[in-house]
Formats: sequence, structure tokens, C-alpha cells
Amino acid sequence: MSTLLQSYTPPSVSLRLRPRPSRCLRPLRFQVGRMGNSVVRAQAATEATEAATSEGLKKGIAEFYDESSGVWESVWGDHMHHGFYEPDTAASLSDHRPAQIRMIEEALSFAGVSDDPMKKPKTIVDVGCGIGGSSRYLAKKYGAQCRGITLSPVQAQRAQELAAAEGLADKVSFQVADALQQPFPDGEFDLVWSMESGEHMPDKMKFVSELARVAAPGATIIIVTWCHRDLSPSEDSLKPDEIALLNKICDAYYLPAWCSASDYVNIAKSLSLENIKTADWSDNVAPFWPAVIRSAFTWQGFTSLLRSGWKTIRGALVMPLMIEGYKKNLIKFAVITCTKPN
Amino acid sequence: MRLLTHNMLSCNIKGVTNGFPLKLEADKWVTKEVDLNADFLRGIFPKIEWSALLAAARVLGFAELPEQADASMLSSDDFLRRFHHALLELHVEEGALVCPETGRKFPINKGIPNMLLHEDEV
Repeated sequence: MSTLLQSYTPPSVSLRLRPRPSRCLRPLRFQVGRMGNSVVRAQAATEATEAATSEGLKKGIAEFYDESSGVWESVWGDHMHHGFYEPDTAASLSDHRPAQIRMIEEALSFAGVSDDPMKKPKTIVDVGCGIGGSSRYLAKKYGAQCRGITLSPVQAQRAQELAAAEGLADKVSFQVADALQQPFPDGEFDLVWSMESGEHMPDKMKFVSELARVAAPGATIIIVTWCHRDLSPSEDSLKPDEIALLNKICDAYYLPAWCSASDYVNIAKSLSLENIKTADWSDNVAPFWPAVIRSAFTWQGFTSLLRSGWKTIRGALVMPLMIEGYKKNLIKFAVITCTKPN
Repeated sequence: MRLLTHNMLSCNIKGVTNGFPLKLEADKWVTKEVDLNADFLRGIFPKIEWSALLAAARVLGFAELPEQADASMLSSDDFLRRFHHALLELHVEEGALVCPETGRKFPINKGIPNMLLHEDEV
């Protein structure tokens, strides 16, 4: 029986220094390895083909989160982002919620968002809101109205339930929508928040343009996202082994493209956004993935994984690759903030 | 979906210039009581597109909002109560939001609008 798994040599990717994000290669080899059986390979190949289209990518992302949200929430709680730690600390599971809160606070502080009642944000959009952890936190912190958007109907529903349970149903609401086509009029929000959703955007320019479009004059835009390292002036692209590693991660997490923090900065400049700042927080999140892996090996983590589906399990299997990426200084955890001109 | 949210949503289909406000179709809606916060209402009033709120509230059978509204009305408790009720207490559970230009319907299920576009609308 012919293998359904196609392996072919990808066209060479040239990752430019100028603001053109590298595209992940179309899903190529899916390394099933010893787990291989024809059903698994068939599913992987189908998913690989589907993800190659934009509809397919959105569907893949929605399904990934529809499937994985419950597991994640039961082990990690309602924030679906990295914790912020002191560098070189080993973190335990009980440290993680405070670390995830700290991540939010560090991002707000880096961006200089004011607590002052006259200047604090009154309307907030949470782009790629997950189950609404950031939305609820920000709405409570600022007493603001917050709108969250996600591709996953399961997440939107859960986010709404949690908001109602916390008495925040009159402050936050969630919509199923695409970050690349936000369903809001121009200039709607004082704070535009994207916490670890940028990785999923196939078109970084469109993504940032939409953030800028829905930002009110003077609003703050905060992007916290995984990037690849900046290219050095003599480099035209990442090295082949680096590209290969990123591609493996892409497939499992429905990441269509990687770019560098500098690429984001250049995009922001091209959109005439102001006060553009960026920082590398890779050392502050390094304890996170080992902790996630450890949690998967707890009884609760393991049984939850077993009860979830293939997409979630595949995501879990790829976690060591994230650690490898960080160790090689290839994967960076970046914050990029800016403001919309008045 | 509360009408406060409805007041912030627009149709983003490519080429559409007149995507706001979305027309509301409601098959199922409920009233959920919320404490009235006058300061909040006064603060949000300037951001509200009144005619959109008026039309949406009427779809839900609430005809007690004035045709026009201006900030001077915010000192009236009676007005605040009606404004509060329309904005925050009416929840559409099932229905649709309809683009005024193209007629495209965005479904609302279990209170959550789905604003995803099809491939050819982008």
C-alpha cells in the first residue's frame, strides 16, 4: 500500500532581513516515527493538506483549541499563556498562575499603560482570547469593557461561562471571529491586546494592520508572541536545520509562519505606529516548557491527555522541540508595544 | 449577546463600505438583571450609536427608548433605567446579525455571535 505520507523536498525558503516574515513551508514530512500506522499517517496527511489553505488553517486552529482547551484548563487554569519568571529558576506547577498573572502585568508595565482613572483604558479588545483569562483580568483591573475574539466556538462559550461565574458578564463578551478580519469598526478600543496569538497569524502585516485599525487614537497596542531570532546583517535566512525545527513545531501547533521581533517592529513602523518598543523575554519564560512537560506526566495531566484527541497529544509530543528551540536561541519570546497616533 | 456588544460589531466583508449597524434578528432572547451603574452609563453614552441601539431594542420588543437622545437626558433616572435595560439587560441567545449592505447573516448561537468570513468574502 502506498504510503499516504508524501515526502518531498521543499522549495528553498529565503527569509529576508527586511520586513517580510518567513513563511513556514507547506507541511511536508510529518515525522510519525514509531507511532506510525496507516490511520495516523492518513490523518496527518489530510490535516497537512488542509492546513495548507487559509480556511484549513483557521479550521485547524479552531479544532485544535476546541479539543485542547478543556485539558489545558484542568491542568493550568484559565490563562493559556506563558508565565513570567525570574531567569534561571526552576518553577513548580503551583507557581504558574502567579507567573501567568505576572506576565500580564509585565506587559502592561512595559507598555506604560496607566492606572490613573482618567487615563486607564475603558474599552479593550483581546485578540486571540482563549478562554478569556486576559479579558477577565483586564476588565477587572481597569473596570473596563472587554471584547474577546477567538476562532474556537468551544473557547468562546467557555470564556462566557467563566465570565458569568465571576460576575463579569456585563463587562466582557466573546465573539467567534478572525483576527485578520476583526468585526469591529475603526478606532474602537483604548487597549489592543494580543497575548500569544500572533504565532497563529499567517499574514503578520494584516494582523498588525487590524490591531492598528481597531485601536483608538492614542491607544496602546500590546503584542506578546513567539518569534524566531533576528537575522544578523550578513544573513539572508535562518539556517536549514533551524527552518526544519520550526517546521516541525508549526505543524503541531497550527503556526503558519514565524517572523522575528524586528519584523514586527518594522511592520509597526510601516503603519506609522509610534513609541515602538520591544524586549526579549526568552529567559523569563524558559522555566515554562519543562514545567508543562512535567505536568503532562502527572496523573491528572496524563489522563487528561488520553481523554483528549490526537491534535492535543501531538501538541504535547512536540513540547521538547520548543525547549530545543529556546536552547538554540532560535525561538524567542518577545513583547512588542506601540501606540496609535492621536 | 447584549446590545452593548451589538453596538460595537460591524460587517467586515471585503468591499463593504456600509457594514454598520448590523440588523438584528432574534429568535430567542432573555432578560438578565444587572445592577445599574450611572457613572458607567454616562461614560459609555458618547460611544453609543443611538439609532442602532433603538432599532435593536425594538426588535426585542423594547420600545421605550426615545427616538433621539442627548447627554442632557443622562440626568434623568427614568432615562438611565431605560438606557440601562436596553444596553445591558437584554441578551440575544439565538438569532443573527445581518449585514445592511450584503444581507449576509452572521449567526448568534448560545449568545455568541460568529463573525467568521467565508474564503470569498475576504
